[in-house]
Amino acid sequence: MALRLVHSLFLSLLLLPAAQAQQAVTFATNWKAQAAHGGFYQAVADGTYKKHGLDVTIRQGGPQVNNRPLLPAKRIDFLMTGNLLHSFDNVKNGVPVVVVAAMFQKDPQALMAHPGQGYENFASLKNAPTAFIAKDGQFSWWQWLKVVHGFKDEALKPYNYNLGPFLAQPKTIQQGYSVAEPIYIKEQGKFAPIVHLLADHGFSTYSTLIETRTETVKNNPELVQRFVDASIIGWVNFMYGDRSAANALMMKDNPEISLAEIEASVVLMKQQGIVDSGEAQNQGIGAMSSARIQDFYQQMVKAGLYKANEVDLAKVATTEFVNKQTGVALKKTLTTK
Amino acid sequence: MKTLVNSLLPALTLIACLVLWELGVRWADIPAYTLPAPSRIGTTLIDNWPSLATSWWFTIKITLGALALACLGGVLIASVFSLSPRLERAFFPIAVVLQVTPIVAIAPLMLIYIDSTTVALLLCAWIVAFFPILSNTVTGLRATDRNLVELFRLYRASPWRRLTLLRAPAALPYFLTGLKISGGLSLIGAVTAEMVAGSAGRETGLASRILEASFRTETPKMFAALALLVLTGVLVFVLFNILSFFLLRSWHSSEQIDELDQSS
Amino acid sequence: MELSAKPPTAEIIKASKRFDTGVLALSEVSLSIGSGEFVTLLGPSGCGKSTILRLLAGLEIPSAGTVHAPADDGAQQYATAFVFQESTLMPWASVFNNVWLPLRLQGFSRSHSRARVEAALKSVGLEDFAQAFPRQLSGGMKMRVSIARALITEPKILLMDEPFAALDDLSRHRLNNDLLHWQQERSIATLFVTHNIAEAVFLSSRVLVMGARPGRIVQERAIDEPYPRASTFRDSERFSNHCRALASALAQPTPLGEGG
Repeated sequence: MALRLVHSLFLSLLLLPAAQAQQAVTFATNWKAQAAHGGFYQAVADGTYKKHGLDVTIRQGGPQVNNRPLLPAKRIDFLMTGNLLHSFDNVKNGVPVVVVAAMFQKDPQALMAHPGQGYENFASLKNAPTAFIAKDGQFSWWQWLKVVHGFKDEALKPYNYNLGPFLAQPKTIQQGYSVAEPIYIKEQGKFAPIVHLLADHGFSTYSTLIETRTETVKNNPELVQRFVDASIIGWVNFMYGDRSAANALMMKDNPEISLAEIEASVVLMKQQGIVDSGEAQNQGIGAMSSARIQDFYQQMVKAGLYKANEVDLAKVATTEFVNKQTGVALKKTLTTK
Repeated sequence: MKTLVNSLLPALTLIACLVLWELGVRWADIPAYTLPAPSRIGTTLIDNWPSLATSWWFTIKITLGALALACLGGVLIASVFSLSPRLERAFFPIAVVLQVTPIVAIAPLMLIYIDSTTVALLLCAWIVAFFPILSNTVTGLRATDRNLVELFRLYRASPWRRLTLLRAPAALPYFLTGLKISGGLSLIGAVTAEMVAGSAGRETGLASRILEASFRTETPKMFAALALLVLTGVLVFVLFNILSFFLLRSWHSSEQIDELDQSS
Repeated sequence: MELSAKPPTAEIIKASKRFDTGVLALSEVSLSIGSGEFVTLLGPSGCGKSTILRLLAGLEIPSAGTVHAPADDGAQQYATAFVFQESTLMPWASVFNNVWLPLRLQGFSRSHSRARVEAALKSVGLEDFAQAFPRQLSGGMKMRVSIARALITEPKILLMDEPFAALDDLSRHRLNNDLLHWQQERSIATLFVTHNIAEAVFLSSRVLVMGARPGRIVQERAIDEPYPRASTFRDSERFSNHCRALASALAQPTPLGEGG
């Protein structure tokens, strides 16, 4: 008996390192590295993922890159998406993926204009002769803008991730992330653009969502939980702690971004309450509520993007991994220093 | 009986492939968002017919429009080259530059410089389609039988008459070859330009439908639009083959049915 | 050799031709053709026979010497007609359109030319083939079309460059008979090039034997047989004599000149 005990103790001691062995995981983003990805890079840089037993590789997106098909194709394990419309589409088309966390409580998607051209009012934007919108937006929130806010397809011109045309023509408007493009425009165009956040006009989606395959949630839920927890802690550290390692990592992945741009972006993220506002303040970063998802869906149905019962909302997201106040205590520690 | 089988052979092969595809998808239980079965593509095509048809028509207009302009430009410039070797030496390199410039790179630039998206797409498709017609027609104009050229010299025919009565008919088979090549290229150019640069709202072609479907993970719709694209390419090819047959069958070896082939 | 009382239809006086490549194709060639005469240039390949024709046609200019060919006056254009070795028909045009070509280039419309084209086709025996295309015709028939085209402008001189060389013997014989018939009908001066001795004897009133490198006329032989000549002439002893004589003339080694 005692020998058996020693035997199993010995075995579990051997297995312990195995349990602690790093599980390789790939996480794909939807753009080139920028401050809006900061929390994830933080968790890699400061070893938070490693502490949770994860060896995470971040795979960047980009202007001509669409990482989304990689998730159901099992080439990546977790995916970052920009808004819930992608998730609605997935469920509608039977793609077996699900949202497990929402790192941004507010979508930073915005429309920008030159100052002094009469675009101070959001309502005036629809009269712009040209709006530079990228393909991704063309087929999602632009459709919402058309129905709900009266924008016209005649103004639509493709945005090929070159700010030149917008900077050169004062009467045009342009899409961007409220926490990124205004900074570049100030640098390249030497003026501060007018920024209209879509979220302030009814586009109430969560953003920077973490998606994974439904089978992963079913068969390996504690892997998902570890990834979500580590990511949340990464975001807390990035927003409130020492992010120099994360910054360095992002600049290595995307040489076009500078330290000043990252820092300015973080300031804007805090100012606009993108990451840590609303429910997140109590429930922790990544918080989601089904009620809000449902409300957003209803609005999209009204905008004609979906039919009333086309999407089974229960399959869109699962809140089992968030709303656990993860990182709240850490934040308090960091902010009361 | 043999001729019947021969003419049905392509259609039968196509149907067999489709059947294999359908069975393969069903048996391996491949999800529609990865590889849809032909039946699913068919129903999607019918369900989305209004929007796909409008886009199809737009793509056809751009393809044929660019092709017509390529013919015009190609033949005109080839004729000028044949009348003036000096001009040919001067400008032929520019034509070559046009041919090797990748549409993928210049399409976004075109859309920045040109206000109208339709014009930009036409231009991109034209750039791709123009060179084979020019090049083949130039070769054809030069490929005239030397003795016939001497005959025309004997009759002291003017350069214009030599062009219209001798070189142009001699060049016709070559021109038609260029046309067959350019037909497909024009379609590819139109689609590539629209795909790379993205099209603007009002009038959009099949490329935009494909992009839209891929962004919204509607894979069956993507395949439906692709099927229409492929059909367009095939129709263009068949059209020009028929044209070539009628124009050349009385005299050119390329349209003669070889008796030996028939018996095999 | 008798000069006819009338001035010759065509004449070459001591013409030489040196090509850009440096080759001396002809060296001081002189000949004259009278009205209605059938003269043959006989010689091996490369002796410059075609060059002589081309000089008369105006397709080449002599490096030395003079060439007198019938001039085109206002009414009569294309006083010189040429028949190539290949029938040189436009493959995309019907037989009618091929024969119409010289008239068309002179500015005559199709309706204006119809009668003359049909007459030309009838005289070569192809009146039923006006709408046929060259690819549908045999070699002999294509050559007839080529000849019809040459004759339609009523030329003063007919230049023929080995026109029957690519045909089989039967077609060649038939066309030889027919050619004499057409030529005698119209009394056209004809300069005929061949390397076939029998053909030269059958067709011509004079045979000019040529030597090569450089090209020059080494011998002239009159064939005194009267016209019209029947096929039976070919079986006669006179015929064989002429052929033998010409054969030995051809076999003689020519003194080496420049360009050898």
